[in-house]
Amino acid sequence: MPILEARNLTKTFRRPDKASGFKGAVKHLAQRKYKNYTAVDGIDLSIEPGESVAYVGPNGAGKSTTVKLLTGILRPSEGTVRVMGRDPHTERIANAHDIGVLFGQRTQLWWDLPVEESLKLLKHMYGVSDADYKARIARFDELLDLGEFMPALARTLSLGQRMRADLACALIHAPKMVYLDEPTIGLDISVKDRLRAFLRELVDDGTTLLLTSHDLADIEEVCERIVVIDKGAVAYDGPITQLKAHYITTKAVKLFLEEAADVPALELKYPQYEWAAGEAPSEVVVTYESARFTTAEVLGGLTAELSPRDLSLSEPSIEDVIRRLYAGELTK
Amino acid sequence: MADTTTHPVRHAGGVYGRSIVAQIRAITEYPADFWVMASAGVMWNVLQFAFLTVLFAAVPDVAGWRYHEMLMLSGLLTVAAGSTALLCDGIWSTGTYVLKGEIDYRITRPAPVVVQVASSHIGMQGFGEVAFGLVMAVYGWIGAGMGLAAVPAGVLGLACAIVIECALITMLCAVNFWIKGTNSVFAFVMLDLQHNAMTLPLALFPAAVKLVTMFVLPVAFVNFVPVAVLTGHLGPWWLVGPPLAAAASVLAAVGVYRLGLRSYDSSGH
Repeated sequence: MPILEARNLTKTFRRPDKASGFKGAVKHLAQRKYKNYTAVDGIDLSIEPGESVAYVGPNGAGKSTTVKLLTGILRPSEGTVRVMGRDPHTERIANAHDIGVLFGQRTQLWWDLPVEESLKLLKHMYGVSDADYKARIARFDELLDLGEFMPALARTLSLGQRMRADLACALIHAPKMVYLDEPTIGLDISVKDRLRAFLRELVDDGTTLLLTSHDLADIEEVCERIVVIDKGAVAYDGPITQLKAHYITTKAVKLFLEEAADVPALELKYPQYEWAAGEAPSEVVVTYESARFTTAEVLGGLTAELSPRDLSLSEPSIEDVIRRLYAGELTK
Repeated sequence: MADTTTHPVRHAGGVYGRSIVAQIRAITEYPADFWVMASAGVMWNVLQFAFLTVLFAAVPDVAGWRYHEMLMLSGLLTVAAGSTALLCDGIWSTGTYVLKGEIDYRITRPAPVVVQVASSHIGMQGFGEVAFGLVMAVYGWIGAGMGLAAVPAGVLGLACAIVIECALITMLCAVNFWIKGTNSVFAFVMLDLQHNAMTLPLALFPAAVKLVTMFVLPVAFVNFVPVAVLTGHLGPWWLVGPPLAAAASVLAAVGVYRLGLRSYDSSGH
């Protein structure tokens, strides 16, 4: 049975329809007009317990709105959401015990209190026992180095510290379903690595995760499944490995030769590959279809013939695939 | 495991209490603010006290109400208004929270949103207002010749006054869920109405004002009705009015706030 199920999830907002400039603003005061804007358009989503799902899309695609619908913050205009069989909006309090939420752009820490006090307030709000609280804080400290800033006021924290503290707040009650909206936004690489490692552990422990991020490294390192949305509708839903297998059909090898590469001659000799000049005259890039040729096959023939002094292997990143999905170059 | 067996009202009370205590701790971060605001709370009400003293040096009574009775009237209103700053000042931020999407996290926590918002701030001027309001009320009480026997009725009136005031402000601030804006204009209008009209005997006003202040926005039950009962201007059976008005106000406030939450649409979509 899915832990989360959304059917035909739709959210329409009413936005003021006014002309630009001062005149438009004054006219809108007297004659108010609105137009509807559909942020989420008939999304179907089903998540099984223990799954880690990336929810990605370009800016304005409806990611955050979907998360708000799934967490019960917003009421759907149409469609239904069930989280562990409950409607998260009408059964808000019961649902709150089972979910953890982090919005990377906002904090839930009490601004003028030490981090420790915020966590204690949440401990009591969620009814976490002393023993569980101690054990969880010890684990967060081990994985997120919370101890160094537990006594610090929230307003004095760096962004990385704030995010780690917010993550602890979201997980203090050991929720079964966790929603993370841009958890690594603005963080430096070392803090990102630490957070990703923590999230992997969380998933390994059986927590269900829905992650939205523009940093596709977050997604590749933490999630197994990806849902791509665009203009409020699902553009792709499936395993990340399948997305790669389906859309990443070529690989490339850059060869560093001893002398200048003769690209036209290579094209004639090896017409089964695509050839392109590299950045330096002695560099050449050969692209081949990964379904037709193995890397060993390609390299075996070429290294014997061309004796390169070095080579580097690359394949299109998932970022390239998603960029092309956003641009409508790829179909489901 | 999380303990989910606590009664919801008791749980909400616990969340509220801990949050308010946390806010008091936060105040200690800003001692200068505390003293400036608390002093301002006293100063605003010193002016009211001075006005009444000057007025009653010239006239013996206003619509049958004497100086000390009027001090009780003003004192009770000041304590009730000051208490809202101490008990539910965060509710004034409803409009800002709605516009900035800061209700989001509060919806995802297992406690009433209204409780979390109300306890998100303490108005430090409340310390000064409550202190000076009590001085005015007690001074008026003694001057009006009230004895100790009336203290239970006075305490009941005070408790109801605080509840009604908090509930009405909550209800009027909830209007910001629909009328987007950072200022809670309706709540400001109510406070203005109270400070201009409810520091005077209700007998001075036309019937329409009496009806509105008793049955539509029951601000008359905050100070006028309890003081009128205590000083004999109204019969003792009127004493059931403040508890009834308090209960009705709380129900209305919770209901309107819940309705507001249903139409909350966050920000950044």
